[in-house]
Amino acid sequence: MHWFRRLFQKEKSEKQLDAELRFHLEKQIADYIALGMSPEEARRRANLDFGGLESIKQQSRESRRGTLIETFFQDLRYAARMLRKNPGFTIAATVTLALGIGANTAIFSIVDAVLLRPLPFKDSSRIMSVSTKSAMFPTFSLGNSWPAFQLIRSQATSLEESAVYSQSNKTLTGQGAPAQLSVTGVSDGFFEELGATPEQGRLLNPADQQPGQNLVAVLSDSLWRTRFGSDPAILGRTLVLDKQPYTIAGVASRSFSFPEKNDIWIPVAITRDTEHEPAAFMFQLLGKLRRGQKITQLNAQLDTIAQRLIKDYPTLKAGLSFTAEPLLESRVQNIRAAYFVLLGASTLVLLISCANLSSLLLARGSARQREMALRAALGASRGRLLRQGLVESCLIALLGGALGMLLAAGGVELFRRIAPAGTPRLSEISVDSTLLAFSLLTSIVAGLIFGLAPARRAARMDPNEALKEGTGTNLGASRTTHQSRLGNALVVVEVALAFILLIGSALMTQTLYNLLHQNPGFRTDHLLSFDLPGPRFTNEFDPKLIERQTARLKEIFSQVRAVPGVAGVTASDYGLLTGMMMMESNLQVEGEIPAKGSDERTAKIRYIYPSYFQTLGIPLLRGREFDDHANKDAPAGVIVNEAMAREYWGTLDVLGKRLISSQDEKGYPIWNEVIGVIADTRDVRIATKPSPGYYLSMLQGGTGSIHLLVRTSADPDALATSVTRQIWSEFPDQPVTHLTTMSRAISESLGNQRLRSVLLGVFAAIGFALALLGVYGVISYSVARRVQEIGIRMALGAAPRDVLRMVLQQGLWSVALGVVIGAAGALALARVIASQFYGVKPADPATFLAASAAVLAIACAACWIPARRAMRVDPIVALRYE
Amino acid sequence: MAEEKTEFLKGTLDMLILKIVALGPIHGYAISQRIQQISKDFFQVPQGSLYPALHRLEDRGWLSADWRESETGRDAKFYTLTRKGRRQLETELVYWERLSDAVALILRTAE
Repeated sequence: MHWFRRLFQKEKSEKQLDAELRFHLEKQIADYIALGMSPEEARRRANLDFGGLESIKQQSRESRRGTLIETFFQDLRYAARMLRKNPGFTIAATVTLALGIGANTAIFSIVDAVLLRPLPFKDSSRIMSVSTKSAMFPTFSLGNSWPAFQLIRSQATSLEESAVYSQSNKTLTGQGAPAQLSVTGVSDGFFEELGATPEQGRLLNPADQQPGQNLVAVLSDSLWRTRFGSDPAILGRTLVLDKQPYTIAGVASRSFSFPEKNDIWIPVAITRDTEHEPAAFMFQLLGKLRRGQKITQLNAQLDTIAQRLIKDYPTLKAGLSFTAEPLLESRVQNIRAAYFVLLGASTLVLLISCANLSSLLLARGSARQREMALRAALGASRGRLLRQGLVESCLIALLGGALGMLLAAGGVELFRRIAPAGTPRLSEISVDSTLLAFSLLTSIVAGLIFGLAPARRAARMDPNEALKEGTGTNLGASRTTHQSRLGNALVVVEVALAFILLIGSALMTQTLYNLLHQNPGFRTDHLLSFDLPGPRFTNEFDPKLIERQTARLKEIFSQVRAVPGVAGVTASDYGLLTGMMMMESNLQVEGEIPAKGSDERTAKIRYIYPSYFQTLGIPLLRGREFDDHANKDAPAGVIVNEAMAREYWGTLDVLGKRLISSQDEKGYPIWNEVIGVIADTRDVRIATKPSPGYYLSMLQGGTGSIHLLVRTSADPDALATSVTRQIWSEFPDQPVTHLTTMSRAISESLGNQRLRSVLLGVFAAIGFALALLGVYGVISYSVARRVQEIGIRMALGAAPRDVLRMVLQQGLWSVALGVVIGAAGALALARVIASQFYGVKPADPATFLAASAAVLAIACAACWIPARRAMRVDPIVALRYE
Repeated sequence: MAEEKTEFLKGTLDMLILKIVALGPIHGYAISQRIQQISKDFFQVPQGSLYPALHRLEDRGWLSADWRESETGRDAKFYTLTRKGRRQLETELVYWERLSDAVALILRTAE
C-alpha cells in the first residue's frame, strides 16, 4: 500500500522536503557563525551555497520514480491526448474493434441465454428428460407410455422425483372470440419437481388426478393478464375448453413457464386405452436426478427397466430403449450446432478486428518512432514505454468495447425481434450484465494481447539509431524487414480468417437459395392455409363422429367456395411443411418386395379431402383421386405416392394392390385397394427427401384435426379476412388458427436458415472489409516507409513498372498465403458443420475458386492504390525526404 | 571556488552516500560535511545533487528515512542503510574496484 499512502500524503511529503532542506540551511548558517561570520554574512553565504531552493525541491521530487498509479494516470492522460490528436487513427481503430466486439458480444449473449444458462427451475441441472427410442422409428425421440412412466417412477432409484406431462391444443370458448390455447396435462409431482409456486390460489395436487375431480385448471400468468384482464376474482370461475368446463384453481407465478408459452395446466388425462398401452408414447417424462447420482447410472437403470417392460408387454418389440439427458440439452439440441457456428463466425470477426488493431498500432508506432526514441533518451525505461503502449492500446480497446457494447445491445434487441418463432428460451435473451462484462473483458484482453507486439516493438528501439537524422537509411535494414514481416503476418492471418468467413457465408447462402428454390412438388403460390381446430377424435372408428364432422366440413367448404376469388378448397388432417407427420410402421402390404436395408419400413399417412391433388397441383401418375361420394360400407381405397410404389412393389403399376390401413370396429383388418399413384412431394420439410407415404380419405376417418387449403385466383393475403369472416358467419365458435399463405409458411419454415445465412453474410462482409482495410493499411504503410529505397531503386534505373510489380508482389504474396491457409481452415471447418448445408458440398470447388478469385482481385485493388503511389515516387524528392 | 566543481563520475555519488550512511543513521547536512571532510575538501557535494540523490536512493529502497532529534535538538531527517542498500553498496564496491583496476591498468600499460 506504499504507493497508495504516498499518493494521499503528497502534502505531508512536501512539508517534510521543505523541513529537510531548511534544516540543512540552518545548520550551514550555524556552522558559518561558529566559524566567526556575522549572522547576516553567514545567511548570505549559506543561501549562495544552496542555489535555488525551489529547483532542488523539484529535482528531489522528480528523482523519485512516480508511483504506479501516478504514472498510470500520466500514461492515461498522455494516451488520451495522443488519441485526440489523431482522430483518424482513433476512429479507425475504435470502429474496427467495435465491430468485432459488438458482433461477438451479441452472439455470446444469445448463446449464453439460450444454451449455457441454467433453466429457471429449482435444481434445474438435475432435471432430466427421459425419452423413448423404438425399433419402429429409430430416428425419432418419442415420449413415454403410461406403463413405462409407472415402472420408471417405481424402479429408477437414481431419480428422486418424476412426473409426466402431455401437451395439446384446446379451444377456449365463452371468453371473447374462440381461441386455441396451449394446454398441458400434468401428472402429480410436476409442479413440485420444477419448483413452481402459485401467484394465486393453488397449483395441482395428487387429489386432482381422481376421475370426477380432475376438471380443474391452473392458468399461466400471461393468460390471466391478457385473456382475463387480470381479474382478481378469477379463482373458482369456470373455463370451457373443447366444450368441457374446468374450474380455475389457481394462477401460476409470473416467472413459471413450462412448457414454453403454455397457457393452461390441467391434470393429465389417462384413458383406459392409454393406461395399459405400452406403445402409446404420448407423455414427456421429467425426472430429477438424486444428488450425487450420475446420468450414466440413471441410463443403466433405464436399460434394465426397458428390458423389464419388454418382458411384461410382449407386444412391444425388442429394441425399445430409454435415454435420459439434461432437460436443457433436450430443449436446445436442434439449434445448438447452428448457434455455435454463429459464435465461431463472430469470433473470427473479432480476431480479424483485433489483428487489424494490431497492424494499425504497428503503423502508428513507426510513425512515432522518433517520439518514442526521444522519450527513451530522456530516461523513460523500456518497461515504461511498453506500459505506455499498452495503456494506449487498452484505451482504444475500451473505447471500441464501449461502442461494441452498444452495437451488441442493439443486435440482441434486433435478434429478439427477428428470431424465428419457436426459438427456445427467446424470452430469456436480454441485454444484461453478462453482455456488459463480456464486452469489457473482451476489449481489455484484446487491448493487452494485440497491443503487446506493437508496444514491444516501439519500446525495444534503439534511441541512437532512431534519432539519427538525414542519413537516408535511418531505420536500419534489419528493422525494416522485421517490422514488415510482422505486418505481412497480420495480413496473412486476417485474409485467412476472412476467407473462412466468406466460404461459410457462401455455403450458407447457397443452402438458403437451394431451399427456397427447392420444388416441393406442389404449387405453393396463391395458396391460403389455416387450421380449423376441433375436438380430436378419441376413437377413430366412431362412424357417427366422422359423419358429423364430414357434414360440418362440407358446410364449411361450401361457405369458403362462395367467397369470390376462391378457386378451390381442400383439406388435410395436418398442415404442410410444418415438420410434422404421421408415421406407420409394420404396414401389411400385399405382394411387397423385400426391403433392401435392415431397417423396418415406415410410411407417412395423410388423411385428405377429395380434390386434394388437383387443388395442390400434384400430378396424378396412375388411377384417380378420391371422390365426394364416400361409401360408408366399403373402404374408399388408398392412394400411394411414387416413393411408396417403388419401395414396396418396385413399379408404378400398382393399381388394385392392397394394404391394411385400419381395423374395423371388431378389430379385424380392413384391406384397402390402391386406386391411384401420385407424384412425390416434400410436404413435411422442404429439405427432407420424399419418403414412402399413402393417403386415405378424410370422409372415412382421420384424427379430427383439419387443415384447410384454399387455392385462390386473386392475391391470397387479400382473401384471408373474407374467408375467415365467411366461416364465422356460419360457425361463430369455430377457431381459425395459423392463417397464412403457403409461400409465407415456406419462408417461415426456413427462418432459422435465413437468420443464419443473413448473420453469416453480415459477419463475412465485416470480416472481409476489415481484412481488406488491413491489407491496404499494411501495404500503404510499407510503401510509405520504403519511399527512400524506392527512390534509390528508381535512381539506379528501375522502371516504374518494376516498382509496381515489387509492391504488388509483396502484398499479393501475403494475401495468397492467407487464402491458402484460409482454404485449408474452411475445408476442415465446413466438413465439421456439413449438416448445416443443403444442396451444396462443404468442399464445393466452385465456391472455393470463386471466393479465392474474389479475394485476390479485391486485394489486388487494395494493393494497387499504394503501389501506384510508389510508382510515382520522384527519386529526387524521395532522396531528399526528411 | 565558485565555478570550480568537481564532477562526480556517473553513479559515484550514490556509492559514496551509501558508504557514508552505512556507518550509521545520518542526516543530509552531515552527509555532505562527512564527504567533504573525508575527501579532504576534494569533493564538495552541491545540495542540488545531494538531495535528489538521497530521494532517489530512498525511492529505490536502498535507504530508509525517519525523523529524529538532531544534535542541536531540532528534528532532522535521518537516513539509514537498508538491507537492500547494503547489497547494492557491495555490488557497487566490487564494480568500482574492477573499474579502478582496469583504469589503472590502462594508464600503466599505456605509459
